[in-house]
Amino acid sequence: MAYVAIADRDHHLHDPDTFVTKYIWSQDHKVIAIQYGSVAIFVGLIALGLSLLMRLQIGFPDTFSFITPYNYYQFVTMHGMIMVIYLLTALFLGGFGNYLIPLMCGARDMVFPYMNMLSFWVYLLSVIVLIASFFAPGGPTGAGWTLYPPQAIAEGTPGVDWGIVLMLVSLAIFIVAFTMGGLNYVTTVLQARCRGMTLMRMPLSVWGIFVATILGLFAFPALLVAAIMLLLDRLIGTSFFMPAVLSMGSEAGTDGGSPILFQHLFWFFGHPEVYIVALPAFGIVSDLLSTHARKNIFGYRMMVWAIVAIGALSFVVWAHHMYVSGMNPYFGFFFATTTLIIAVPTAIKVYNWILTLWRGNIHFTLPMMWATGFIFTFVHGGLTGLFLGNVTVDLPLSDTYFVIGHFHMVMGVSPVMVLFGAIYHWFPKMTGKMPNEVLGRIHFWMTFLGTYAIYLPMHYLGILGMPRRYYAYGDTEILPESGVLANQSITIAAIIVALAQVIFLINVFYSLRNGKTADPNPWRATTLEWQTPETPPKHGNWGPKLPVVYRWAYDYSVPGASRDFIPQNEPPRDGAGAA
Amino acid sequence: MMIALVIAMLTGITIWWLLVQRLKTKPWTEQGVIPGSQDTMTAPRTGLFVFLAMVSSLFLVFVGAYIMRKDHGHGGGMHEWVPVDDPSVLWLNTAVLVLASVAMQYARGRMAHDRVAPARIAFAIAGVLSILFLVGQVSAWVSLSATGLYTVATPAYSFFILLPAVHGLHLVGGLVVLARATTRLWRVDTANVVALERLRMSVSLCTTYWHFLLLVWIGLFWLLLST
Repeated sequence: MAYVAIADRDHHLHDPDTFVTKYIWSQDHKVIAIQYGSVAIFVGLIALGLSLLMRLQIGFPDTFSFITPYNYYQFVTMHGMIMVIYLLTALFLGGFGNYLIPLMCGARDMVFPYMNMLSFWVYLLSVIVLIASFFAPGGPTGAGWTLYPPQAIAEGTPGVDWGIVLMLVSLAIFIVAFTMGGLNYVTTVLQARCRGMTLMRMPLSVWGIFVATILGLFAFPALLVAAIMLLLDRLIGTSFFMPAVLSMGSEAGTDGGSPILFQHLFWFFGHPEVYIVALPAFGIVSDLLSTHARKNIFGYRMMVWAIVAIGALSFVVWAHHMYVSGMNPYFGFFFATTTLIIAVPTAIKVYNWILTLWRGNIHFTLPMMWATGFIFTFVHGGLTGLFLGNVTVDLPLSDTYFVIGHFHMVMGVSPVMVLFGAIYHWFPKMTGKMPNEVLGRIHFWMTFLGTYAIYLPMHYLGILGMPRRYYAYGDTEILPESGVLANQSITIAAIIVALAQVIFLINVFYSLRNGKTADPNPWRATTLEWQTPETPPKHGNWGPKLPVVYRWAYDYSVPGASRDFIPQNEPPRDGAGAA
Repeated sequence: MMIALVIAMLTGITIWWLLVQRLKTKPWTEQGVIPGSQDTMTAPRTGLFVFLAMVSSLFLVFVGAYIMRKDHGHGGGMHEWVPVDDPSVLWLNTAVLVLASVAMQYARGRMAHDRVAPARIAFAIAGVLSILFLVGQVSAWVSLSATGLYTVATPAYSFFILLPAVHGLHLVGGLVVLARATTRLWRVDTANVVALERLRMSVSLCTTYWHFLLLVWIGLFWLLLST
């Protein structure tokens, strides 16, 4: 078959022979994955630091003189953008997508390894441009992560000189990097699967990453268009988005542009972006739950359908982010309906995860703790989404801390729970060492309980009417004493959760050095990445011969089998169909 | 319209997938090597089609933005939508791009019969015609700005620059690949079957890309003309 030939051909194309080609300009998908992951976690830590600065200001106003209103908006903006794009998207797709797709599909590498390498370096460039804005005159942009015009490029907004330009350029560069990576992920899944690996035998991790990448390839162009046009408005004075603006009593010299157009473009990207992050998390968590509950995933086919359905529906819900921007009431009705419909396939997935656990042989390993934690946080975040999806409920809650609580639970904490689960799960394969159990458990409980301590009170504050994006609240009737206290406790919880991440980093470095040597398949998993001849897998992944797949990815606790798992590449006992 | 087209495209791809890959299968009941997905397209061809889908999305979004800015600008005034007079050279440019596509198609046909000599000439002609097209586009902008009627803040004018510029950038990217393929066409050892096969693939993919960009341009041209 054509795809086997391609997978084999790569082996001869880019064998690394020097330190530089092996670890720096590497075309090996595993090295690129770790490069992507390391940079993403690095910028994620910066964004985490920014959120702490924000929380210090909200929890203890008038205490930290170095946090000015100007800085505060810069922190808000950079925190949001870094977390959503440069951490979550990059880590799930560039990191786990790169690592898992070839290994789980039984390929030697991505189909376009050189382009894959370029993808990482262009991503790094986008990060450098973004971080450079911290050092540019005026600092980074403080327009809010949605970058809405007119204020994003209007005088008075922080970073209007350099910050916004660097942000838009960085986004454009990121999209180029994503395109190069995305073409690889999709084409590798379609063309480089080993013999016997039909699409319906692929692990759900690959399905999630695959569909998320397709979403990205369709959705990122909208952000690119918005970025290019906003950049032109800012740099050469076009009038795409800028309406007539009175600034300090005088006309700003702009008119005719449509700020709503920017919002449509931004959210046409922005909502699928939620699922670009969520779908890989859905896929990965399915595999973690199944493996550590020693039970086949419940409703595999339905899970695949749900991933595809959620992906398609995610393109017709974007205007639910714009209920307060002003729109035809029938539009609101339409978008509220589609938003609630998307809850159906999502709920199917949640039920299936729970039914997978039902009467399973649950092992509370480190990855399993994060996976079950995810079910809690996702259900909570998802339920508050049902509130906000309705126009009439959204209007009073819009731009309050209820929204902050909701989206952090559903697309902040939940994907991060899966990310940590995934890191602990595949750490033995990536490094050949087991992560430290005690440190991992402390990390989990501090993070899991800590995030609840942060985000649950935010719902309460939001219902009280506490608006988001305010630098200081002063003495207001909407914020009673209990609200002030809640803000302080949220800040303390945030610091504790941040410290927990330090424990994670210590665990990574400690385990790399002193961790127990990992068994090639420590979780007794069925999928192909655990069946490689070496751990960590060497360049080319499979030694001289590509694997052949004989069964689906979830043969756990099969009645009559000698072990409680049957790897995908194990031939049937009767020899039927064996190659 | 944009939304409808994107949804139609996505739905079409999804349905195609579901039909081809038979999501009805019950993988938990089947063991052994299933012939499975018979991928007939090679990786580069698949990669190109995935890329073209993304580029389609890019232009559809641009078209959506164009229509929305035209119909729903805010604040009127001096930057109200005023249509530009499309320079007549655009018709000539379009004809040149059509000829480039025809030349590419001819080259693809020749390569299918291992006729390298006429293919490389046709390919080179297609390259020259494409460069001519780009020069023509620039001359259209120059002639429009020379009228002195428009500034960059005139929305129809700025779109008039932006849309063909994005299209032109894609063509420039294609020209880089075309230049490489043309050089290989000139140097190829016709006795080398593998090299010939690879070149056939390159020529075929370039041709597909050119046809695609021609379609995109015709769509953009129609949009600019009709408004």
